[in-house]
Amino acid sequence: MNNDIIRPLIFWAQQKRWLLFAFLLGTIMYWLPYPESISISGYRTLILAIMAIILIITEPVPLPATALLIAVLEVSFHIAPAAEVAQSYMNDSVFFIMGSLMMAVAIVHQGLDTRLALGIIRFTGNKVSNIVFGFALISAILSSFIGEHTVVALMLPVGLSLVRNSKGHRDITNLTVLILFSIAYGSTVGSVGTPSGGARNAILIEYLKNLPNPIYLSYSEWILMAYPMVLIGMFTTSIMLKMAFKPEYAHLDTAIRKLKIQVAHRGKITGKELLSIIIFGIVFMGWILLNEEFGMGIIALAGAFLYMATGLVEWKDISKNTNWGVILLFSGVISLGIQMKNTGAAQWIGNSIIGYSGDAIASLTFLPYFINILLTTTLSNIMSSSGTVAVIGPITLNMGGDPLFMGMTTAISSAFGYFSAIAAPACMIIYSSGLVKVSDFLRAGWRMGIMSILTLLLIQAFYWPFIVKFFNIQ
Amino acid sequence: MNFLIIIKDTSEQSKNILQIGARVANAFSANLSIIHVGKKSKAMIEGEVSLARITMGEWNILHPGIEVLNWAYERLKGFDTIEIDPDTELKPENYVNHTKRITLSLPQSSGRDVKLILREGEMIEETSKDIDEFKYDLAILGCPKKKRNTHQVVQFFNTSVLIVKNFNKDRTYKIQLCVDDSRATKRAVVFGAKIGNHYKKEVKILTVSKTNLFKSGYRNAHRWAQKYLKRTQINCESLLISGNPVDIIITEAGNDHIIIMGKAKKNEFFKYIWGSKPIHVAQKANAPVLLIN
Repeated sequence: MNNDIIRPLIFWAQQKRWLLFAFLLGTIMYWLPYPESISISGYRTLILAIMAIILIITEPVPLPATALLIAVLEVSFHIAPAAEVAQSYMNDSVFFIMGSLMMAVAIVHQGLDTRLALGIIRFTGNKVSNIVFGFALISAILSSFIGEHTVVALMLPVGLSLVRNSKGHRDITNLTVLILFSIAYGSTVGSVGTPSGGARNAILIEYLKNLPNPIYLSYSEWILMAYPMVLIGMFTTSIMLKMAFKPEYAHLDTAIRKLKIQVAHRGKITGKELLSIIIFGIVFMGWILLNEEFGMGIIALAGAFLYMATGLVEWKDISKNTNWGVILLFSGVISLGIQMKNTGAAQWIGNSIIGYSGDAIASLTFLPYFINILLTTTLSNIMSSSGTVAVIGPITLNMGGDPLFMGMTTAISSAFGYFSAIAAPACMIIYSSGLVKVSDFLRAGWRMGIMSILTLLLIQAFYWPFIVKFFNIQ
Repeated sequence: MNFLIIIKDTSEQSKNILQIGARVANAFSANLSIIHVGKKSKAMIEGEVSLARITMGEWNILHPGIEVLNWAYERLKGFDTIEIDPDTELKPENYVNHTKRITLSLPQSSGRDVKLILREGEMIEETSKDIDEFKYDLAILGCPKKKRNTHQVVQFFNTSVLIVKNFNKDRTYKIQLCVDDSRATKRAVVFGAKIGNHYKKEVKILTVSKTNLFKSGYRNAHRWAQKYLKRTQINCESLLISGNPVDIIITEAGNDHIIIMGKAKKNEFFKYIWGSKPIHVAQKANAPVLLIN
């Protein structure tokens, strides 16, 4: 064959090696005899799940293509009929992801970042330790309500401007890393605080609803269970970061002065900005008060509608800046999760893990939670935190332990993506800015990781049993 | 002709690549494109990252890739090889955002085009796309850290490749033309002669045979190269050596020659598995290597 034909073919195969591997593995597994303890449709769902995980982690094809493949194989493997698959692709958590992504675009377009900058400066003053604490605190609080992605978009320009204003004759590597990580880790820590903090929380709520004994967790019940994690996290984040990176300056007089000049031209709060805050306030109240009746997704969509109806954002901006591909992927992965439950595949994996653990799980009650945390944390550092819950949520819910606690553990530990740049948008942005090295993530991450895992295990062991009993959460 | 310079960052090595690239482009009066392939975020968080970039743009915080290109532009202005109007100001708003490819064309006084290109993703894949689409005649890049990547660059870039390896701007380089019976040998000789002529460099013609017997293809190619250089009035030294071609080419070149040779004609599949002479030379040499397609 001609070299001009072979070369592109080899290059394609080289680029798509993981796609070829996934298909090869899938084909081999399809023809292999399967264990008796799992149904044929469960086994095929398992094959599909393995293929989907490989494709999501390695990205040899665009993510929406993976979502389409899931639908095609669910039907052609006879896992579920086409009508059921179509139905499983659209549910309240997908509505929520769609609505919150659209609202994020609307909020970001209002220029609230400069307001935030002024607020932070007033709150922290010019002392570096206060600034770091302020960034972590405000990022954590905001991200727990309006979503990590929105906070990152609003806070990072403020942090990066401060870094740029601080540049003088001295090297400020540590100061730079300290400020940027306080935003990145602060927003990550905060994102577990409420269901609206991240798509993964909404997905987990959906999975809990689909359990054989459904658990309906309301917005406020989630806050009750998860917020202590945020409160502890936002205070310890700045301490951990300061231990890892000693700043070159104790005060940032000039940088703060420059930042003040930069944002001073905005004047008083405008009607549009106020309206934007009011709409989010309405949506937030809707999540708390009307969640059980309407579902979080419908309320988020109502919020997106209000932003467009009031003219705060144009459809073309929403259309251009919303990641529709990810919404489609989440639809696909949630559908896969539902099929894993329906076909018994999730139960089978859970039972297998329990079986391998032997008597240890019976004698050590924290073991399923610990395994869950390790599994989720590892995957979120490889695949990104949002995708992790969607993929392994149905499995961890069947791994022993209390399903509610296991679910919350999965959702919270999926935010422990401190070790790599790819787990969270904030980490990716600060990494791609070139101001932060891979080794910085490890240097700060191991402290944050240990602290977060210990806190979560303690909360699970002592706080959740109490709060569930006290408020009769089920 | 259209040449492409690939820069990774704002390091001293990138500056050297830019300098050598600008000089080679000058010898051929070629249009010059400078590409930077930035890190791509995971598709799962791509939307959030681009949302943050919108607000950062409002604070005049540029995409890190654009900062690299701006840096390249400033360096380019400093070299005396490419004429760029020193008053031309680089404004971020002038960048044109095509799908997955951001470009900026710079007006130039010498009549040649200089273009800055930003892509995101995996370097070899993205650069290959650009090369296939815009048909560059030469790609100039630093030596990839991994041997496997050097292999892929040589094999999959469907153009000539200059790998700027172990380059020292204070060193005076000579040219080593490696001649054999491969189909690209003649083009390599023409290319080498043009550079040699433009920069008045000494040229060494080297033909290596695995055995003491030099096949007629080798002898004819060597003679043709001698004649061609003589015709273009370039002083050359002629060497016919038997032994391991890769080892001899590398030893003869030392660190003060630019090795110029044609890409191998071997079957692409076997090349992918076992490599080829040019691939091994590019991987092991201690000097810049120019492989002609």
